Amino acid sequence: MSYLLPHLHTGWQVDQAILVEEERIVILRFGSDADETCMLMDEMLSKISERVKNWAAIYLVDIKQVPDFNTMYELYDPCTVMFFHRNKHIMVDMGTGNNNKINWALNDEQEFIDIAETVFRGARKGRGLVVSPKEYSTKYLY
Amino acid sequence: MASLGAGGGSANSSHRHRSLAPPAHVLASIFTSKPPPHYVPGIGRGASGFTTRSDIGPAAVSLGGAGAVGQEAPADAAPGQQPVNDGAYNAALGNDGGLLAKRYDDDDEDKEADAIYQAIDAKLADRRQQGVREQKIKDQIEQNRKDNPKITEQFADLKRRLKDVTEEQWEAIPDASDLAAKRQRKNDTTVAMPDTLLRRALEGQETNAHIDPTAMPGAGAGGGGDGATDLKAVGEGRQTMLGMKLAKLSDNVSGQTTIDPKGYLTSLSGMHVNSEAEVSDIKKARLLLKSVINTNPGHAPGWIAAARLEETAGKMSEARRFALTGTEKCPKSDDVWIEAARLHPPDTAKAILARGVAANPDSISLWLAAADLEPDTLSKQRVLRRALMQIPTSVKLWKASVDLSSEEDARLLLTRAVECCPQHTELWLALASLETYEAARGVLNRARAAVPTELSIWIAASELEEANGNGKMCGKIISRAIKSLASTGTAIDRDTWLREAEKCEKSKSPATCRAIVFATLGMGVEEIDRQRTWSADAEDALGRSCPETARSMLLKAIEAFPGKVSLWRQLVKLEKACGTATDEILAILTKSVSHCPQAVVLWLMAAKERWLGGGQMPPSAEAVDGARAILQEAHRHNADSEDIILAAHKIELDSGEHERARILLARSRDRTGLCSMDGTAKSAASGGSERIYIKSALAERMERNHKEELSLLTEGLGKFPKSWKMWLMKAQALRRGGGDVDGDGDVSMLKVEPGSSANAKMDDAKACYERARAALQQGVKQCPHSIPLWLASADLEFDMGFPAKGRALLEQARLKNPKEDRIWYLHVQRERKLSTGGDVHAAEKLMAQALQECPESGLLWSAHIGMAPRQVRKSRCADALKRCDKDVRVIGAVARLFWADGKLDKARSWLTRATSLAPDDGDTWVLLYRFEQAASAASASETSGASSVIKACTAASPKHGIFWTRVSKDPELWEWDASWKSRVASSASSAHEMRIERTLELASQLMSAEEDALEGVGSRK
Repeated sequence: MSYLLPHLHTGWQVDQAILVEEERIVILRFGSDADETCMLMDEMLSKISERVKNWAAIYLVDIKQVPDFNTMYELYDPCTVMFFHRNKHIMVDMGTGNNNKINWALNDEQEFIDIAETVFRGARKGRGLVVSPKEYSTKYLY
Repeated sequence: MASLGAGGGSANSSHRHRSLAPPAHVLASIFTSKPPPHYVPGIGRGASGFTTRSDIGPAAVSLGGAGAVGQEAPADAAPGQQPVNDGAYNAALGNDGGLLAKRYDDDDEDKEADAIYQAIDAKLADRRQQGVREQKIKDQIEQNRKDNPKITEQFADLKRRLKDVTEEQWEAIPDASDLAAKRQRKNDTTVAMPDTLLRRALEGQETNAHIDPTAMPGAGAGGGGDGATDLKAVGEGRQTMLGMKLAKLSDNVSGQTTIDPKGYLTSLSGMHVNSEAEVSDIKKARLLLKSVINTNPGHAPGWIAAARLEETAGKMSEARRFALTGTEKCPKSDDVWIEAARLHPPDTAKAILARGVAANPDSISLWLAAADLEPDTLSKQRVLRRALMQIPTSVKLWKASVDLSSEEDARLLLTRAVECCPQHTELWLALASLETYEAARGVLNRARAAVPTELSIWIAASELEEANGNGKMCGKIISRAIKSLASTGTAIDRDTWLREAEKCEKSKSPATCRAIVFATLGMGVEEIDRQRTWSADAEDALGRSCPETARSMLLKAIEAFPGKVSLWRQLVKLEKACGTATDEILAILTKSVSHCPQAVVLWLMAAKERWLGGGQMPPSAEAVDGARAILQEAHRHNADSEDIILAAHKIELDSGEHERARILLARSRDRTGLCSMDGTAKSAASGGSERIYIKSALAERMERNHKEELSLLTEGLGKFPKSWKMWLMKAQALRRGGGDVDGDGDVSMLKVEPGSSANAKMDDAKACYERARAALQQGVKQCPHSIPLWLASADLEFDMGFPAKGRALLEQARLKNPKEDRIWYLHVQRERKLSTGGDVHAAEKLMAQALQECPESGLLWSAHIGMAPRQVRKSRCADALKRCDKDVRVIGAVARLFWADGKLDKARSWLTRATSLAPDDGDTWVLLYRFEQAASAASASETSGASSVIKACTAASPKHGIFWTRVSKDPELWEWDASWKSRVASSASSAHEMRIERTLELASQLMSAEEDALEGVGSRK
């Protein structure tokens, strides 16, 4: 379902996408469209994108096409979702140990909306780290 | 999540109309705009990476192929900003080289060019600045010189003045001490003995030089040549060192040591060898002091410290030398002289001090030290005389001199002394005390003239007058004192005066004391506070055991407030406490009632004092007459006081004038408007108060006039239906009446009560019971909250064999009066007595209920302990003590337990404790009496314990207690008492004692009977 969401093709575009948003949070999915995990994630994102468009912007980035951020953001996983707000990377404590990103396919729409909304609310208050409403430690790591 | 996310849709809808998204063209610019050249994604935006998985690789961003690490871009870099290629992003603007760094960094030529340009810039700037810089350096040097001038320059003016220094002054400049010596000392530090030395010692070629052979006991024995002996000596030397260390440990600062060297190394620790450290300390101190002395030879403490140091180091001769040099250098310091004298043997010391006083003739301490050195009084006196010749104004010397003299000499000395030092009161007073009366007066007068501000002289004068029989002068003297002290401006406050008064009393001058109190008590006390303050002061003075002061205060207070009853009472109490004779107390009381004739208490006290004050029992006829007269007088003043009437009644009764007593009461019964002191009885309309009726009935009961008693009670109850006492008395009278009818064959009762016309014995008893019951029923109805009435009625039922009725009554009583332990107690005891079939459960159950309702009741707990089988009693005792450890009954029960266990001492101490805790409770006394009797019977000794109990009990005169009142209120006892009294006339106290003994006897019989009844139940079980 990746064609339903806008892709960013260069590092410049990625940076611009993050920078132009004054109010909304920016949700970036790093990965490749062909990847299985990414597909699941993209489908979920495409489903919610219309519902969250007023306060969140969702973009897809192919890490092979745009490798500029691979080192900086440690993009080694097949699929990585990161949140930004006003050019600030917002971390989410999901109990996984890595607060920087979601690097698994989160296929529940409502759960993702909840996380995104938590990020949005937290970021608007100036938080750099928010706590996810649900904990993902045991489910996905063990 | 509520508004935005929970429904998903809700988030959508809530933001539908106000999307936060930027305008469309801005969004479009993301894709349309072109990146600036050399744009580094991420870093260009100002992002920094993170490192969470260092195993995978660094997150630090490398910049392109050159691998140079980029700097952080500012976070506020505007989006879409086109970086300018010229030098707009320079360091001065705080911008980084992040974006543009690459261009400059990777080119060697660029770097070189930069360097060249910089060098040119520097050179140009340098040329421009050179002139300025040279000037600056010059200024700096100038400034520096000014700030830090050379030492020679600093002292230039002083140096110039050196030319004025004379030869002697030049010589007197001390040499600088050689501090370099200290550094040299480092060379002779000791080192551990090498093995080679030891081996050589073995070979006998060389003796060990490390430890002084003299310090080693036994080292010399073997001689130098013997290698084996030397080795031994080495070991012993070590031991010596160890010993010294131990000695040091043992007397370190805290005084505590883990080692006890005394046991092991007595001889070693006794050696006067200082350890190395100490020695070095002393050396250091010596050096310091030496420099002190050298630089400032006129400083006496330096010399003293040096002498002391040598003394502690054990070098007496050095110490003496220092001290003597000190005296030479600073002859004006008496401390040095004294120190020198101290360090020398007495003879030399005398000589030194002689020189000392010659040098300082005005030094008191030197003179005193010199006097101290003299062996006998005579020479001491001589020294002091000489001293006084020098310094006649020294009080210290005078005192020392007077102390050594005989009385006559002392007088002469003091005469002179007061001339020399007229300001010292002590000398004046001492002189006055040595003089005869007349001379002393003169002395004190002169003293007063010399020291007009001194209080003690005035007081001494007053005391002197008093001691010589001029007691009335005291008041005059003290008032003059106050006046003159006030005029000289010496403010002496009231407390000081009163303290002085107490001191006077302690020194046996009551008149002075009184004079002071009279004169000063009113000082500075507010008009309204006077009475209260004075009375409190008197109380305080009495508390400090100064009765005379307190008495004076009260007299003064009474003078001011003659109508205050409380003051009079306080005075009488004080007199009684002081053990003043009856006559005086009577005089005071007579005076008091003349001042306040309405004070019934004072009248009663006077009458009692008159009646019993003689200490005779029965009181003599004249005492009785006197008391009667007093009471008549009282009655004249307080016609409507029933207390006085009752007191008169008591006197008549006690002196056997029953008829008069009866008439008295009959008259008062008919009177109206009597009132008692405490204002309880006020029978305005019907005349006679409840108390009068009770007393009348009681009198009749004692006379065994049942008819009269009953009619009185009926009359009284008609007027006071709420009087439970009278109801109780009536019931008792009715019941007893039956018994009397039966016993004496007196049929008068039958006539009074026409309802009981049966002749049979049983019927009589029954009739009496019925009547008593009726009376009690009425009584209970009238006073439902009177516990004794309830108890009496229940008792009656039980006694007459109607336990069911009794129980019902007790139930009722409990309902009406909850939380009343006496009712529970009676019920339980009754149940226990009734439980014939070994059925103690009823009683146990009841007791449990009772304790639940009144858990703090000692009465119930003691019964509870008594009910328990022997094994359980101890734990119950503990429980009871936990609940109410101050209750005498519980303590009594515990004591009884000890008694049963044979622990007599413990039981006695507990019982004594109980009696002292509540001396008013008769039952405890009875228990103690029983115990003592049993104990003396067991030990076959005479009843010393019991008799002492009787004595103590007489002193306490208890009033309460279940068994005690049963006996003490029995008319039989009174009869016995009366008959006995008529037989033997003796002192009041012994009569009282006899009565108490009798009561104790009877009560203990009753108690044991009761116990037997209860124990019988237990054994049946």
